[in-house]
Amino acid sequence: MASVVQVSAVTVAFGGLRALRGIDLDIARGERLAVIGPNGAGKTTLFNVIAGDIAPTTGAVVIKGQDCTYRPSRHRPRLGLARTYQKARAFAGLTVRENIYLALAGHRGRHRALWRSSADRAMRDEAAEVAAQVWLSGQVDAVAGELAHGQRRQLELAMAVATRPDVMLLDEPASGLSRGERERLVELLESFDEQLTLLVIEHDMDVAFRIAQRVVVMADGEQVTAGTPEQVRADPHVHRIYLGTEAVA
Amino acid sequence: MKLRERLTARTLVLAGLVLILVLLPSLATAFFVNFVMTQTLILGLAAATIVFLSRYGGMTSLAQLLMFGIAGFMFGNAALDGGARGLNLGWHPWAAVGFAMLVTTLAAFVLGAIASRTTGIYFLMLTLVYGVIGYFVFAQIVEISGPGGITSIQRPDLLGPPVRLYYAGLLLSVLAYLGFRASRRTAFGLALQGVRDDPVRMASLGFNVALHRALAFTLAGFVAGLAGLLNVWWNGQIDPASISIGPTLILLIIAVIGGISSLEGAWLGAFVYVLVFTYLRDLPLVDGIGITEARFNTVIGVIVLAIMVLSPEGLTGIVQRLRGGARPVHPTEKELGGTRP
Ligand SMILES: Nc1ncnc2c1ncn2[C@@H]1O[C@H](COP(=O)(O)OP(=O)(O)OP(=O)(O)O)[C@@H](O)[C@H]1O
Ligand SMILES: [Mg+2]
Repeated sequence: MASVVQVSAVTVAFGGLRALRGIDLDIARGERLAVIGPNGAGKTTLFNVIAGDIAPTTGAVVIKGQDCTYRPSRHRPRLGLARTYQKARAFAGLTVRENIYLALAGHRGRHRALWRSSADRAMRDEAAEVAAQVWLSGQVDAVAGELAHGQRRQLELAMAVATRPDVMLLDEPASGLSRGERERLVELLESFDEQLTLLVIEHDMDVAFRIAQRVVVMADGEQVTAGTPEQVRADPHVHRIYLGTEAVA
Repeated sequence: MKLRERLTARTLVLAGLVLILVLLPSLATAFFVNFVMTQTLILGLAAATIVFLSRYGGMTSLAQLLMFGIAGFMFGNAALDGGARGLNLGWHPWAAVGFAMLVTTLAAFVLGAIASRTTGIYFLMLTLVYGVIGYFVFAQIVEISGPGGITSIQRPDLLGPPVRLYYAGLLLSVLAYLGFRASRRTAFGLALQGVRDDPVRMASLGFNVALHRALAFTLAGFVAGLAGLLNVWWNGQIDPASISIGPTLILLIIAVIGGISSLEGAWLGAFVYVLVFTYLRDLPLVDGIGITEARFNTVIGVIVLAIMVLSPEGLTGIVQRLRGGARPVHPTEKELGGTRP
């Protein structure tokens, strides 16, 4: 299978702090990958590098055969890549519909119009449909800043789903969700097209192991181990460095 | 629902106000219309561009008066001929208008593009530097500014009688106000607010953040240029001192008096400023307590201070508080709340 995302020997240093110390990752089309590890392991930093929010100190990122190591994040949506952030980062002053609309407009490069066109209205309608997909149809015209925490996470997800990406990076999508909401989230993630490549950072083992085909365990900026959920769960190493400290998360 | 009611009430009040302004020439003295109100509309229009950039783009610009001045100088250079100061190109007045707006818009785009990677205090400082450099360019290149300013600038025949200039100011102000307000819900305006609140997020959604900022700055520069044209037609002259650091700050102060996050406030602030400068000398006793013309800026300073202490959101904020006991949930507040986690 062709690989969609290739991360080779990536290191990231923030001043003296080495957040990533040589990560190699090869992700195949349609793969479901979970990245787990204790706080500060470098998981979000790895996502930031793949998504172009930060450039690696050394190493390379190739997406769909194109070298994206130093390409800024704004070129990622047109490559079919979308991400969510660990802290929901929807625009608090705009409505749910407008937030999703921005995701669509950014992806299509249609955002300099000073007037409303018909294409524009179509995108607004489409935004409402996407909101319904993540169970926000009742909140389409609510201001994002006034949503409950769980709903904000749903909106965060909607903004990634909206553009129908084929590579999606979700940073702790289940954090702060109730048990029922987690269940719905897993159902949603499982309902995605088989061709969709999904990378998920997740502290909730249950969620991570249910959606993933492969699990990568990180600690201190390095990959500790990787394998199927069963292999990882059985790995004594993982128990010591991660599952043992789960209470912290 | 409540929000909608309040908006329509606000729209009604504003529509009534515009109606009064339309009828004003037959209600008030020529001096009040042609001096006080025309000046208010011109300064308000220019200050509104500061509010637009600040409120929707999160950029507090000190370069708006420069744009205003560039348009004025370029018109003067292009429109005058023979014997006058400046370049004396002697073009048709409307060709001169086109030329002035073209130069202003291009300058705004270039300056906006350079400033587009900075935000907050750095953006403020950089635009202040623009203002200072712009002042020196016009002060020192006397071929385009004088020497000693460009005088005897005539307005196009269409705007001959002073009251027409008043109406031009009113028309452009209303259009700018409605346009800026409507832009909030357009793709451009939504993206601009996104850029203001979270540029990193906007980039990852596929937006060219720097370009978007530069375009907003260009739009604001264009509108400030229109105000600058009205200004030279009203004044009949322009000199480098009129775009020096003092007037630059005064334009910012006008925006602050009205409320830097309120579009209406730009014109309200301009009105207060012009009133103080026009009528303070006529008040009884002001001479007695030592407030001479040279000290009017001190009075303005005290007024600004008082307003800032009473209400950081300026006069508009005070008006809002007087209207409702509890502070209304104003769209502005929500938009500004966008940066709150
Ligand atoms: N922009 C930054 N500047 C400086 N240090 C950073 C920055 N981003 C992350 N770090 C540091 O890099 C290390 C890895 O952080 P990262 O956010 O990638 O961890 P994580 O695995 O996502 O943790 P968590 O589970 O808490 O989200 C941490 O020590 C963090 O403090
Ligand atoms: Mg993280």
